[in-house]
Amino acid sequence: MNSLQLKMGRALIYGLLITFALLYLGPLYVMLVTSLKDIEEIRGGNILALPEHLNFSAWSKAWSSACTGTDCEGLAPYFWNSVRIVIPAVLISTLIGAFNGYVLAQWQFKGSNMLFGALLFGCFIPFQVILLPMAKLLAILGLANTVTGLVAVHVVYGVTFTTLFFRNYYVAIPNELVRAARLDGAPFFTIFWRIFLPMSTPIIVVTVIWQFTQIWNDFLFGVVYSGPGTQPITVALNNLVNTSVGGKQYNVDMAAAIIAALPTLFVYFVAGKYFVRGLTAGAVKG
Amino acid sequence: MGAITIQNLTKSYASTEVLKGIDLAINDGEFLILVGPSGCGKSTLMNCIAGLEEITSGHLLIANEDVTDLSPKDRDIAMVFQSYALYPTMSVARNISFGLEMRKYPKAQIEATVQEVATLLQIEHLLDRKPSQLSGGQRQRVAMGRALARDPRVFLFDEPLSNLDAKLRVEMRTEIKKLHKRLGTTIVYVTHDQVEAMTLADRIAVMKDGIVQQFGTPHEIYNDPANRFVADFMGSPAMNFIECVVFEGNLVVESAAKRYELAIPNAEALKASGLETVVLGIRPEMITEPKPSTDATYVSQMFLDVSVTEPTGPDTLAFGTWNGQDLQARLSPEKGRQAEIDSTIAIQVDTAKAVLFHPQTGARI
Repeated sequence: MNSLQLKMGRALIYGLLITFALLYLGPLYVMLVTSLKDIEEIRGGNILALPEHLNFSAWSKAWSSACTGTDCEGLAPYFWNSVRIVIPAVLISTLIGAFNGYVLAQWQFKGSNMLFGALLFGCFIPFQVILLPMAKLLAILGLANTVTGLVAVHVVYGVTFTTLFFRNYYVAIPNELVRAARLDGAPFFTIFWRIFLPMSTPIIVVTVIWQFTQIWNDFLFGVVYSGPGTQPITVALNNLVNTSVGGKQYNVDMAAAIIAALPTLFVYFVAGKYFVRGLTAGAVKG
Repeated sequence: MGAITIQNLTKSYASTEVLKGIDLAINDGEFLILVGPSGCGKSTLMNCIAGLEEITSGHLLIANEDVTDLSPKDRDIAMVFQSYALYPTMSVARNISFGLEMRKYPKAQIEATVQEVATLLQIEHLLDRKPSQLSGGQRQRVAMGRALARDPRVFLFDEPLSNLDAKLRVEMRTEIKKLHKRLGTTIVYVTHDQVEAMTLADRIAVMKDGIVQQFGTPHEIYNDPANRFVADFMGSPAMNFIECVVFEGNLVVESAAKRYELAIPNAEALKASGLETVVLGIRPEMITEPKPSTDATYVSQMFLDVSVTEPTGPDTLAFGTWNGQDLQARLSPEKGRQAEIDSTIAIQVDTAKAVLFHPQTGARI
């Protein structure tokens, strides 16, 4: 192979990569510039053009005064609703998943593989199927339209995935570690807390990103199981876009959509490098 | 202190019986080796002693106390694992002290013990490192340190050297033996390496198919094997097994197209058995070049056709046949070189330590 062919190959690869990167980043660019224009400029100008003046009024409106249905308080209250749902749901489902994974991988008992199979089946149950029975159950438990109820739904639904992640991570760790700890006199929970959890950083990061993204972006559970004061941001965004007072305000819609997406972006930027590493990590050596 | 008594111990998984009635009495301070091919049940037996596997039936006593139903932590034993099983997120010092912490020892005593153990094993400079920063041999030392720190009644070693390279394995083997001399604590040690078994053990239990085939000192196991399996498994190069016809209390051997009659020490037992053919077991070092002035009762001179030689340095293994069956002889390097040129050489056979086995059952005669 000569150097010209090599260069052509390189050019082709970079060309394709840049094309696809632009394809993905294009809409984001449009959203960003649109959110910074005022409504006249949007109506009159080019969709790809940069804004003439930086104008953050659409952002502040989306955050604090845009109308979502009959209320006109912006996205802020719903943003905090989402935070109140996401944080406990992610923490609880991750912790339960870690514990389940520890037991299923390291303390095999009669039928433990059957149980794991049954749990895996939970990953394939579509959301729509459980909507009505879950609504009924939440009503019986007195959790309908509450943040606690939404947290419970997300935990139950998330545990199947988190268990799968942790079980597959722990199954690669030799059982001799548990045996050694038992001989050292460590009880069941101590082995989990002191030995297994501390070596789980990569898989915890993977699980947290996964769960955070799933729960933050969830719309269906949010719209079905929430009440007037407990709607998450995805539902509010939908309402905001669908409420038009005197014509479509594209700049506000765009700003609101970016605000709704920011937390997942933030989590991914902070922990993203662990994500790929954690998914591909093999057994812990040593 | 650390005597172990195993009484009619059995272990089954569902319908497969892995251990079929083990009886062993291990003295306090003894170095016992469990040896056998993979799948013979030696690791299962060790896990039963540790309490990591439940015993199906039978009893286990440590220092005359029935520990059959005690949990592992209450048996006062420590174990070194094949994969070392160090806690990956803890420093070497924490790895060593973890068992003491769990047993709520006072802090000052823990620190003193860690220091003492680290000095003994020459790992003081590694105390702050994580297991992933250590070499295989260093991990092995830490794993041993973790066991030593607890000062238990019994040490269990589960193939501790099998992950090390050949040179390091020999070094650590010597160190374990020194350590045992120094501490005098009972050790039960599992291996599939018969050289390790011979060199380390006070007594060896050779296992096969969940049964102890023979339990004795290395000398007894090597020179007085209970059956053909034990004779074959122990010793390197392996013992020769030649099926021979019995003629007037002697064994008939055809070598280099000539017939020889070999006298054997236990002729009465052979006569009593009434067998017409028998398997002669003779170690390669008993088949050598002719040597002057040896006790002649059981020594025969004969010729051997040599097909291949394998020089090992101190001596040369020569491969030939008796009665059409493969035979290994152990020659001096000089004789070995001559065998390569001449192919037919004069040898001397000493049957004083030869053993006889039943041709079908493999039982000792």
